[in-house]
Amino acid sequence: MLNHKVIITPNEVILDGKTLDHNEQGGALLTELYRTYVGDYPKFFKMDTLSKLGLVASELLLQAEGEPRFEAREDRAVVFFNRSASLQADTAYQATIQEPENFFPSPAAFVYTLPNIVTGEIAIRNKYYGETSFIVLPENDPKIMAQQLQLAFLDTMTQSILGGWLDCTDENHFEAHLFLIDKQQFDTIESSLL
Amino acid sequence: MDELIYTLKQQIIEALNLEDMKPEDIDENASLFGEGLGLDSIDALELIVLMEKNYGIKLQDPSQGKEIFKSVAVMADFIQKNRTK
Repeated sequence: MLNHKVIITPNEVILDGKTLDHNEQGGALLTELYRTYVGDYPKFFKMDTLSKLGLVASELLLQAEGEPRFEAREDRAVVFFNRSASLQADTAYQATIQEPENFFPSPAAFVYTLPNIVTGEIAIRNKYYGETSFIVLPENDPKIMAQQLQLAFLDTMTQSILGGWLDCTDENHFEAHLFLIDKQQFDTIESSLL
Repeated sequence: MDELIYTLKQQIIEALNLEDMKPEDIDENASLFGEGLGLDSIDALELIVLMEKNYGIKLQDPSQGKEIFKSVAVMADFIQKNRTK
């Protein structure tokens, strides 16, 4: 049993089994979700698509959880998985250095060319000082993900995990299956991921 | 100069993804960092790229940025005096 679960695709947003209304699709959907449910973090607009996706998905989860926000804590880890690493950011950065006659490497694009930037973004916003990990897998494999979460819980400091699948191939193609899970409820994690 | 200031504001908004902001919203005399537009160190690097890309200005000493990026007006004045394109 997961405490809370959110699914975001370019066409759909489902929070704890309930479909959320929206007007936009693709990358514009993420901006709509930000404006509707967040709105106070303009750094969102500087992020790559993977980080935007992770930020809005985590916000929906944490708002559903309803606990006090932005208080420093070490007992929550952030553990994400995907297949495409930071492909969208890598492509955006490559575009700034593709042509020798127009070679202007973008620092703002470069800083997102690692998938684990999104785990850091979420940890910074929420003052999480526990573990953050981003693991790139050949495919969405619930068994391996459950094993990694189990490893994260071996740290006695970690009492809950904001984790799951967070994949993005370009600005309009992405998939988030994120959840919040407590250590006590971890036994059923594998079947819940399926 | 007014035209350069307006163009520079547009370029800053685009380069730094200052969503929902229009050139009119930026006070050309306000500080770009800290209390003003609240830019960060990565934004400072983007401004260096902006000046090279659009005006052919390559800062020899990055520490010059502290003075040049004081405000849009100061930046525009520096560009007008040093631009190569």
